Amino acid sequence: MEMDRESGKLEQIVSQFRSKILHVILNSRIPSLHHHYQQQEPLSLARVRKSDKWFNLVLGDRAAALENLNFSLRNLLDPMIIDIILVHHSSCSSSVDNLYTPSAAVGSPSDETVIERWVVQYDCARVNATPSGADTSSSYKKTYKKSIILLRSLFAQMRLLPAYRIFRQLSSLSQTYNVDLVYKVSSFSHPFSREEEGAMKEYSFVPVEAFPGRLCVSVTYRTALSDFNLEPLVSLPSNIITDYVGSPTTDPMRSFPSEKGFHATSFSIRGARPPSPSPFQRPHSWSSGFHKGLPLMQNQSLAGSPPAYRTSPKPYDVVSPQSDIYGNRIRSRLPTLQQATAYDEYQLSPPFSASASPSPPAYLSGANPVVAHHCSETAPVTIPFPLTGRNSFYLSLNSSDPSRHSLPPLSPRSSKHDASSQESPSGIRSYRKLEALRAGESPSGLSINYSAQKMVRDTKDDSGRFSGLLSSSGSPRIGFSRSSSRLSFQDDMDDCEFSCPFDVDDIDVSDSPASQNIEGKKALDFTAQSVPVGKKSQDAAVGMLVHMLRTAPPLRQDPSCYSTHSSKTVGYEGGVGTASGFFMPCKTADALEELKSYREMRDLLLSKSGTRVVRKEGTRVVRKEEM
Amino acid sequence: MNCEVCQLKELEVEHFEIREVLRCILHTIVFHRALGLIRPKDVDLELFEITYVQCGDVELEKKIDERIDHFISWVEKHPNKKSQICLSFYEVKSKQPSWFTNKTERLYWEQWYVNLNVTQHPKHHSSKSHHAKVVVDPGESATEDRSSRRAMVEASLREVLFQIIKFVNEKKDHVPPISDGVIYFPYEITIPSSSDSAFGMDMIKRMLHSGHPTMLS
Repeated sequence: MEMDRESGKLEQIVSQFRSKILHVILNSRIPSLHHHYQQQEPLSLARVRKSDKWFNLVLGDRAAALENLNFSLRNLLDPMIIDIILVHHSSCSSSVDNLYTPSAAVGSPSDETVIERWVVQYDCARVNATPSGADTSSSYKKTYKKSIILLRSLFAQMRLLPAYRIFRQLSSLSQTYNVDLVYKVSSFSHPFSREEEGAMKEYSFVPVEAFPGRLCVSVTYRTALSDFNLEPLVSLPSNIITDYVGSPTTDPMRSFPSEKGFHATSFSIRGARPPSPSPFQRPHSWSSGFHKGLPLMQNQSLAGSPPAYRTSPKPYDVVSPQSDIYGNRIRSRLPTLQQATAYDEYQLSPPFSASASPSPPAYLSGANPVVAHHCSETAPVTIPFPLTGRNSFYLSLNSSDPSRHSLPPLSPRSSKHDASSQESPSGIRSYRKLEALRAGESPSGLSINYSAQKMVRDTKDDSGRFSGLLSSSGSPRIGFSRSSSRLSFQDDMDDCEFSCPFDVDDIDVSDSPASQNIEGKKALDFTAQSVPVGKKSQDAAVGMLVHMLRTAPPLRQDPSCYSTHSSKTVGYEGGVGTASGFFMPCKTADALEELKSYREMRDLLLSKSGTRVVRKEGTRVVRKEEM
Repeated sequence: MNCEVCQLKELEVEHFEIREVLRCILHTIVFHRALGLIRPKDVDLELFEITYVQCGDVELEKKIDERIDHFISWVEKHPNKKSQICLSFYEVKSKQPSWFTNKTERLYWEQWYVNLNVTQHPKHHSSKSHHAKVVVDPGESATEDRSSRRAMVEASLREVLFQIIKFVNEKKDHVPPISDGVIYFPYEITIPSSSDSAFGMDMIKRMLHSGHPTMLS
């Protein structure tokens, strides 16, 4: 009776010993089972299940697969052979594997190599032996104690064998590889070939006496696993995105890559290891949070996720310098991924979607990236040319001479002077107007012409800066202040009925309210047609333009201009619809002197170009009247 | 009961490697002698590509770190010297009190000698916190020499760990029975004192307690 009880205990020890060893081995070699273990909440030792307390080694709940295995190997006399197999995927192995980077080292598809073979056997030589009472009473205790020690040493040794490195790499959640570790448990095994035996070593643990037999554990393992190229299929980009789209500080004028690089965003894809991104394949910050994704065609280049490339044929070159051999060793050892099935689902999950990111890239839509950019951010400011009768002249000139786009049209104040001769235009000149002057259509403005041309050159030099401003026909760039010359222009060339927010003339804030109202209306009209200015860079450009105009020497000083523009606001910074003028008060005499000099310059230019100065006398007449 | 002694292979380490190496070795030994209910904890070394196993007992970890700190202090005072750290397991036996001995005595049943040869003069103090990172010695300039030397140390450390596993497997009979509720056997970590004579006195004291001469393997 007692012997039966003792033998029953021994049998239980042997049975549990096999289960425990299986649990230890598979937990330390199969990534999916390891993940299952990692996800369990570590219970306090007092609350550990009884089944897990065997051999005083708490390993956590067993996966269902292990339970089934235990059941199928209940014959304790049969050896339990656990093969740890390294499966090397290739492109021909399956439809899914077609998306992987094909292996270069192994010719046949999906190679399987046994890298470790564990043999657990209850070697019972004397089945029918009958132990004595004294022996049996303490034998199972000793057997149990020694089994505990053996399991400890086995647990420690599993971390020292070469296969552990591969296991750790494959257990890394940040990358997937073209290899897998699988296991096979059976009671028989095919012997190794000579070649395989030559590459393997054997280690046998000291058997544990378990009367009437003994527990024997041995392992045959491959000493070198460098022949197996662990090629990471996915790697999270770890570089910092310096040109993150969506940031308010991103330069809106930045040119974007070509369409080729924007099929999809840079989500992590199984099958691709992103190298350092090129300027045209910019990674995106939203891709850093994705570990798994759609498998990537080998030759497919995805936007932001550069195409896959092979790593050097070293099995243990992984990721970051810190992580070195073990992949993301510094990472948390308790991944939050679900079990193996969930892992697979991640692999087949759809690619990155815009909703996952707070600032989804506009080019997800596949549209033109430049357009897409404009969709996501405020477009550059373009100040359109209002289609009025008065401005049709400008338009015609625009169409005829593209270079005439470089100069802005007349200021809105100039348009206002139709109503009042006392008022002077804000002084913004267009190149087209100057051309008209040359052609004899415009009155005065010789000096202005020169200045305008000078400004044209300046603006052409600064074409990059003002390109956004000058893209349309009506964007004002230069403001000349002033006065009666502008009045004359207004007579001939029609006033700008829109207010240009970048008028340089109307600096003076002492404008009369009356004129301000009219100007304001025109400014509002303009703004209704213009694209609102909202960009920092646009404003900066405008500010520079204004500054140029402000610092430019005035053409003429007109007291009436003060009165008209004195009450106007000077708000060109983002100023939508404000008819701002920048008027530098100076003495009349000085202004006259200046005008004379400009006239002379104009004459000179005209003489060179062969254009007759028309209405020169008329301008003088007007000026005399004003004075 | 025999006192099994294991002299581990000598390791040539630099000052900044002492902590990691000792942690690895001492915890591996204790793990094999912590036969109570434990939840093993894998720990990756930072300097070497080795993973060792701890019992998961916080108190044990603290005690080992304290002794390592003590050892490092000793090494700093005795630079360029071969040093040894001894991990002993004993049983507490009650004894009839006499005016020579205490009530209890320690019966050492296993001793592990970790032999280190610290090659470089310590340039900085290691942190006493067991959570501190290992500071890489800035003295070595040649990267290749450093990496080859590091590989050698790693291989040697791996050999030492295999040596421990082999010893643990081969000698099991001397291990005392496991007491209920006890996670690991009583142990002590002996660090050589400032003078060799004092260290020798420790050995003699141990011999008196164990009642038999120390056997060297």
